[in-house]
Amino acid sequence: MTLPRFALVAALLVVAGLFLPMVIPNPYYFYAGYVVLQYVVIATGWNILGGYAGYTNFGASAFFGAGAYAAAFLFKAFGLPLIFQILGAAAVGMFLGVATGYLTLRIQGVYFAIATVALVIVLETLVHNTEYLGGASGMTHIAPPPPAWFGGQTQFVFWVMLVIAACAVVLARWLELSWIGRGLRAIRASEPAAESCGVPTLRLKLLACALSGGVMAAAGAPYPTYTSYLDPVSAFSLLIGLNALAMPLIGGTRNWKGPVIGALLLASVQQIATVTISSEFNILAVGVVLIAFVVLAPEGLLGLKSAWARPKLRLSGAKP
Amino acid sequence: MRISRRQFTKLSAAASVGLAAPAIWTKGRAQNRPVRVGCSASLTGPLSGTKNMVIGYELWRDDVNAAGGLLGREVELIVYDDQSAPSNVPAIYSKLVDVDQVDFLFTPYGANLTATIMPFAKQRDRFIVGILTLASNDQLKHDKFFQAAPWGPDGATNWARGFFDIANSTGVKKMAILAADTEFSKTAAEGGRRVSEEFGMDVVDFQMYPPTNRDFSAIIRNIRATEPEAVFVCSYPADSTAIVHGIQEIGLGDSARLFGGGMVGPQYASLMESLGPSLNGIVNFHLYVPEPTMKFEGIESFLDRYRPIAEDRQVDPLGFYIPPFCYAAGQFISTAVNATGSLDQTEVSNWLHENPVDTVVGQINFDEIGNWTERRVLMIQFQNVDGSGIDQFRQAGKEVIIDPPDYKSGELVPLMDARKT
Repeated sequence: MTLPRFALVAALLVVAGLFLPMVIPNPYYFYAGYVVLQYVVIATGWNILGGYAGYTNFGASAFFGAGAYAAAFLFKAFGLPLIFQILGAAAVGMFLGVATGYLTLRIQGVYFAIATVALVIVLETLVHNTEYLGGASGMTHIAPPPPAWFGGQTQFVFWVMLVIAACAVVLARWLELSWIGRGLRAIRASEPAAESCGVPTLRLKLLACALSGGVMAAAGAPYPTYTSYLDPVSAFSLLIGLNALAMPLIGGTRNWKGPVIGALLLASVQQIATVTISSEFNILAVGVVLIAFVVLAPEGLLGLKSAWARPKLRLSGAKP
Repeated sequence: MRISRRQFTKLSAAASVGLAAPAIWTKGRAQNRPVRVGCSASLTGPLSGTKNMVIGYELWRDDVNAAGGLLGREVELIVYDDQSAPSNVPAIYSKLVDVDQVDFLFTPYGANLTATIMPFAKQRDRFIVGILTLASNDQLKHDKFFQAAPWGPDGATNWARGFFDIANSTGVKKMAILAADTEFSKTAAEGGRRVSEEFGMDVVDFQMYPPTNRDFSAIIRNIRATEPEAVFVCSYPADSTAIVHGIQEIGLGDSARLFGGGMVGPQYASLMESLGPSLNGIVNFHLYVPEPTMKFEGIESFLDRYRPIAEDRQVDPLGFYIPPFCYAAGQFISTAVNATGSLDQTEVSNWLHENPVDTVVGQINFDEIGNWTERRVLMIQFQNVDGSGIDQFRQAGKEVIIDPPDYKSGELVPLMDARKT
């Protein structure tokens, strides 16, 4: 499917989302759906750097939290509407991504991963000590009423998250198929080899950091409107970072479908577990599934599918 | 796979029936379904120490059902685990209201988790009882919100005022204030400073510390150097433990007569057990203690039944702090429903605004935003604590009520004298 056609399908989904409040009268599905879509965006954003370029980022919650607090700040200080909060949050995320990337991309592997964890701690400590953002106690965020069409705030933020998810997936697919994606894949395969072939590795990695950070921060922007309350412990939660890592690994990190599939599967299971099993089964499930996939299917579900399809191709005589 | 037109029609009909069946089934059962009461509780996560609240709800539900239910219908309790995370709360309460169709709600534990659902409760015009939330309805002023805890009006700044009343009555002129940098503590500390100035006391030290701080030796030495006559402390369980150990090791000097006020932790059996005699002399807030002035109808029976369940579930064996107030929260609902003969949220709320309710924690009147009309936060002093046995706290005389005067059960002993015992 060509990119314009893909973007058209995404746009049609967004338009269809406008009519969902009329088809589904029960608001609960929008609450749960919002969380699932939020993770589609976070996982897609994470995969730009972690999947395409192979730089494992444990600091997803730093970008998410920064986006949430940027949005809350813009609303509190200037009363800006949600669309400008999202754009502002994305800009903050991109800036953070570039700044962090510039400081840390010279190191690789586990050292880079540890450096990204530090970002979470730094930002959380910063918020803890910023009175204007509510400090350790958090801040109440009472958003203005949503457009009448949606029938409720949750239906509205669900649709907003659907728009962000559509944009994030289109961006990820474009990156994957463009020269940038090819460059990032070369970096993942062998950075010195890519460099020797003329791939501008630092510039590409900084670009990936910026886009990845921007997408994850955009995912955080509607969060204060969704919960009406924002506190540093939730915004910079370990679970967000864990999910951001687990979802692409479960789905597959090689293309845009992996994080989407992983997020849809894992976030849905978590939402169901919250109101059925009611325990820390969520975190346990993520951990167990993550270990299982790392050991049994390091290429994720998409990798499993490819591996399953390969012998069939040989049997049918088709060329692999 | 090809699907014929006939197969497509059959599949469509089956799908329609499948989608419609839950609605038909739900409507059919609605007439005789139980009265549902729902909430989230922190069964896991950092606030899981509060999960004994569920026992309070369960005992209330069992008592109501044993007495024939509400309006002849059984009471069903629906509790989900919010994992102590505010982000989980909105979806859980939407599930409770939109899918489970509960009739009444309790909030999650505490102000932070409750903040995420108060706009929802107001928007949906739902009856909701606040479980130890502080000032959660001050801004929204939802007329169907009722507070289970005795913070009283202006609770955000005044809940620990009893400590300053005691200080004033004993002639304290130099006050030091130490508080964790969190909403609950900060607000109380600011309120404390205002009351100190109102009473003409000199605030000789005002210190905030990060909630993660565990080493208080420098802070305590700093306080000691200012020679305060009273030290007002607002802390959380882990820091409360470290602070009590700190004053045990370093001391506060001979000038200090009063210490404590807003420490969270010494209400829980685990901390009382571990701190033992080092608690002696500390004056601190509590919501219920088994003193002779607190003999409300049903409370002793409640605590007797609570104890074996708590031991079985390995939660706080005393259960003085939260569970009785959860039971009382249920009593708000059952009393108002029985009095009005209705489950209508407006009728039940109006009745509660206009009438007192008798509960296991005493008779309660509500003001226009659902707070208790009278502050009844207790200031108790630990006296004659001997060893680390937990059973001693089930008897009167170990946590003596000093304030409010209506519930006073003993005299204040100066800090140093009490710590010598």
